[in-house]
Amino acid sequence: MIKPIGLQESASCTRADNIDTGGLYRRQVNKGCDMKTRFGRYRFCLVTLLVLLVPVGYVAWDRGFRELPQPNWVMASAESRYKYGSIGAEYEAGIPYWVFQVLPRVFPEKLPGPGGYAALGVPWEEGQELPIGFVKKTIGFPRVGNNCAVCHTAQYRLSVSDKPTFVVTGPGHTSNVEGFFTFLIECAKDPRFNAENILPQIALSTKLDWIDTLLYKYLIIPITRKRLQDMAYQFTWMFNDDYPHWGPGRDDAMNLTKYFMIGVEPPDDGSFGPTDFPAIWQLEKYQNAPEVANPKRLNYAGDTWDAQSVIMDSALGIIGAEPKNDEQFSSDMAWLEAFLSRYPAPAYPLPINRDLAQQGEGVFADHCADCHGVDSDKVARPMPIEQIGTSPERLLTWSPDYAKKANAIVAQAGITRRGLVEQPLPGYKVPFLDGIWLRGPYLHNGSVPSLRDLLTPANHRPTEFYRGYDVFDPVNVGFIVSGEAAEKEGTLFQVAAKGNSNRGHEFGTALSEQQKNALLEYLKTL
Amino acid sequence: MTLPRRFAKAIRILALMCLLLVLVAALYGVIRFVPNYAYPQATMEAHFKYGSLGGDQLTGIPVKIWDAMPLVCADTLVAIAGDRLAPDYVQRVAHYFGDARDAPVRLALSREGYKALGFLYETDAQGREHALPVGMSRRRSLGLDRTYLNCAVCHTSTVQAHAEADAQLILGMPANLFNLYDFEQFMMRCAVDGGGRRLVQLDLLAEINSLHGPLNWVDKHLVYPLAIWALQDTMHFLNNVAGFSARQPHWGPGRNDTFTNNKVFLYGYDWRRHMPDWHVTGQVGPQDLGVVDFPSTWLQGLRKQRDDGEPMQLHWDGNNSKVEERNLNAAVATSSLPATINHAALECIEQWMETLAPPVYPLPIDRQKASQGRRLYRQYCAECHGRNGRDFSGARVGHVTDINDIKTDRYRLDNYTSDLALNMATTYAGTSRQIKSHRCPGGVTYSGKGEQRDYRYTHYKKTQGYANMPLDGIWARAPYLHNGSVPTLWHLLQPTHQRPSQFYRGNNLVHPTQVGFEYQASHNPLGHRLFLYDTSVPGNGNWGHEGTAYGTELSRDEKWALLEFLKTF
Repeated sequence: MIKPIGLQESASCTRADNIDTGGLYRRQVNKGCDMKTRFGRYRFCLVTLLVLLVPVGYVAWDRGFRELPQPNWVMASAESRYKYGSIGAEYEAGIPYWVFQVLPRVFPEKLPGPGGYAALGVPWEEGQELPIGFVKKTIGFPRVGNNCAVCHTAQYRLSVSDKPTFVVTGPGHTSNVEGFFTFLIECAKDPRFNAENILPQIALSTKLDWIDTLLYKYLIIPITRKRLQDMAYQFTWMFNDDYPHWGPGRDDAMNLTKYFMIGVEPPDDGSFGPTDFPAIWQLEKYQNAPEVANPKRLNYAGDTWDAQSVIMDSALGIIGAEPKNDEQFSSDMAWLEAFLSRYPAPAYPLPINRDLAQQGEGVFADHCADCHGVDSDKVARPMPIEQIGTSPERLLTWSPDYAKKANAIVAQAGITRRGLVEQPLPGYKVPFLDGIWLRGPYLHNGSVPSLRDLLTPANHRPTEFYRGYDVFDPVNVGFIVSGEAAEKEGTLFQVAAKGNSNRGHEFGTALSEQQKNALLEYLKTL
Repeated sequence: MTLPRRFAKAIRILALMCLLLVLVAALYGVIRFVPNYAYPQATMEAHFKYGSLGGDQLTGIPVKIWDAMPLVCADTLVAIAGDRLAPDYVQRVAHYFGDARDAPVRLALSREGYKALGFLYETDAQGREHALPVGMSRRRSLGLDRTYLNCAVCHTSTVQAHAEADAQLILGMPANLFNLYDFEQFMMRCAVDGGGRRLVQLDLLAEINSLHGPLNWVDKHLVYPLAIWALQDTMHFLNNVAGFSARQPHWGPGRNDTFTNNKVFLYGYDWRRHMPDWHVTGQVGPQDLGVVDFPSTWLQGLRKQRDDGEPMQLHWDGNNSKVEERNLNAAVATSSLPATINHAALECIEQWMETLAPPVYPLPIDRQKASQGRRLYRQYCAECHGRNGRDFSGARVGHVTDINDIKTDRYRLDNYTSDLALNMATTYAGTSRQIKSHRCPGGVTYSGKGEQRDYRYTHYKKTQGYANMPLDGIWARAPYLHNGSVPTLWHLLQPTHQRPSQFYRGNNLVHPTQVGFEYQASHNPLGHRLFLYDTSVPGNGNWGHEGTAYGTELSRDEKWALLEFLKTF
């Protein structure tokens, strides 16, 4: 056994005692050992210890915690910051970069198809080392976190041979977020998630020095595994076999808040309400006049009072913990709010028949504007579910009680915001229709593939189709949802499954074919 | 002295001796196992042929084991190379003289085995063959000399001007004769399946003994047993990352499935799960098959600029426009990866290839006819393929022609999927280095400007067609089209139905008239059987690059004139 250094020191002093000298002198020696030598030796030990600790401490800080700024190009433009800039999710929710990179190579069978993370439909620009919405930041070691862009970047192609066009702040209808979580958790459950399997794969991609190798082997890989395994418990409801997959372009946002932020204990309460990732462009449209009686609200059920609160709550969900640095968090949030307030909805990319659109404008004024017009007093306010008739499942996932709890938790973290609405929510919010051409599939749960289908009585809407394919359908306005390519790249959506009902919003279904065509043409102009 | 004290002294002496022994062993260990260096080469040509890019640190095969492999796995070799080996090969391998004659005879047998896989051996002035073939490096690492593939194995070949002429080695030429498919099959099967029973200590050590004499005690009991164990591990690794080819149609010599290899080797494409076995099902989709000819690597400097000032789009489908990135990715095939690559060694080759010129056509050229051909060439070909073999100007040179125009076989194009292009951008992440001047073999200086270079791939793109290539040395680049499906330029100027549906690949005898290599003979001048290329096999289609614009409607005389001009490239 190794003795603590202090004990060894006193032992050597005791040995000095035994030197056979005169009684008085002996006492002096003894005293010297006690007072001078011992103190001197302690100091020596202390200094040695410090000399040893300083480099060890430095290395620990350097390799484990030292924060490096992201490279300049990330912040060079607002769009690039939105796509690749950190919002602080790398501290707690970050995955070690090299583990992240090699997981699809070690466990390819756990992804829905070949192509690594590309198989999850995440928006990904050629030449970029990470998909949009994935952030690389070094905190001791390079880590990968997420930001808003992973769910809020739309992509579309006008033909199969086109490259995708990415629209930041648009709905990420191709992003399979559930698939991403599932992949990570399935990897962590696999006994091969260990240094013996992961390090050789990392060695094909980079050269770790011996310190990093030891860190990965004994700390980073085991800790990452543990954290991912722990996450599985909170996802119990998502893994419930009775519920369908969220599929690409959706998440069960309020349940995520319940199980992750509020900490509701599994098993689930029987509620399941995935919704489409919304477009978050030009949020300034939600601004209210002061003291207005019935203010405009956000989220599908009007769950939140203002844009700032939605941005903060969503960001907290991604960060997965209290922000590390409150000041940084506030400034990031302020920047995001400013960016999202004025980022424009994209213009329709194909020619528009102006005459037809003009006719459609009339149809819109007569049949739609009362609710969806930008100046309507109904837009951005909840409409009772009985009137809309769409799937109520999303409403059932939330309650005023949860809103109070969530608000309290955020307040406790020292974050000031107006927050979630602590009142009963009667139905779904009437949406603004800006950029509606790029917001398919439609309804809150994305159960109707195209605007033309939405103008069709519910009984005649498609009951099965493929979501997540990014080739645009200009005839029906939406994305192509059938055919070989859509089936290969997309995911089957069945309206019979829980939360997927395509009922309701049977407004405008009685219009004539000519009126519908005109209306569709007009909607392209929004 | 009392007994205990004497005893104590003895123990002290013993301890001292033990310590000394440990020190000597440690010293031996350091001297023997720590050195890690590539054998220096005297010239750039030698560096290209035998130099190391660093990948041999990862998958290097000990040279003595390399020598022994065709002998211990002779039956596997015969099963793969078939009648490209002499019929009595196995019998000759089985025969030992039992004396000093064995070593030279058996080393020659070993080389004979590798030659059947298309490896080329140079001979020195005394007529002795080089120990390793062209394209195999030599490195000292972990106490042994090791060897592995380098650039030259796929980019060097020989040309025979006529049946009586000597074969000329040509660096940078597509390795028409090298059978990568069979080589991989041989290495993997020797180690893994039926033949694997021979890649064991007893057989290998005995064979090494007959080739190179007895091993010393340390080598016999420590180094080689460990090296053999490591080699088996390497071969299993190779089987995991390259074993998919057994499920594909045979590539034939001179060809490689570049990007399926990439998918599997670097990005974890789970071929065992996704790839059907063509030999069983007769089905294979382009996501699993993209076989192409090895390209030439001449005049790379000229490929860095096209008419619009941008660099040319490289690779058959033009998926990358940066020579250095393309080279890094080609080096992956030599196991040179971020952790093992020697960037300086690659930089030397990169610079050397910028001006490496193609060989001159070895037969007489009719200058008058060639000048008639020049006019036709300017009219039909120059816009896409450059003014001539040294001037690559032309509005569409180095651009991609849409697949709906070029209409050649789609497999290679579709094999390069958009998700692969995305994943490739993760490669070499976090690797950065200052580019400094340094010396290259032969006294050449590589000139760097001190700039910091980030090695991560940033230029890979999905395209929708095939790239228009400059035609330098085109006469030595047969067979033609990206998949090598058309044997000669003469056939490329004919509509598809007049192109041969089957022909022989792997001959190095220059075709006297049609520009390309002899394609009808089933055996080469050395009497070795050749590979029969079948255009009906998936990915082997010989259609496309046809119609008026592509010259297939020209008169016979015009075509002959055009061919004559192309010989000057």
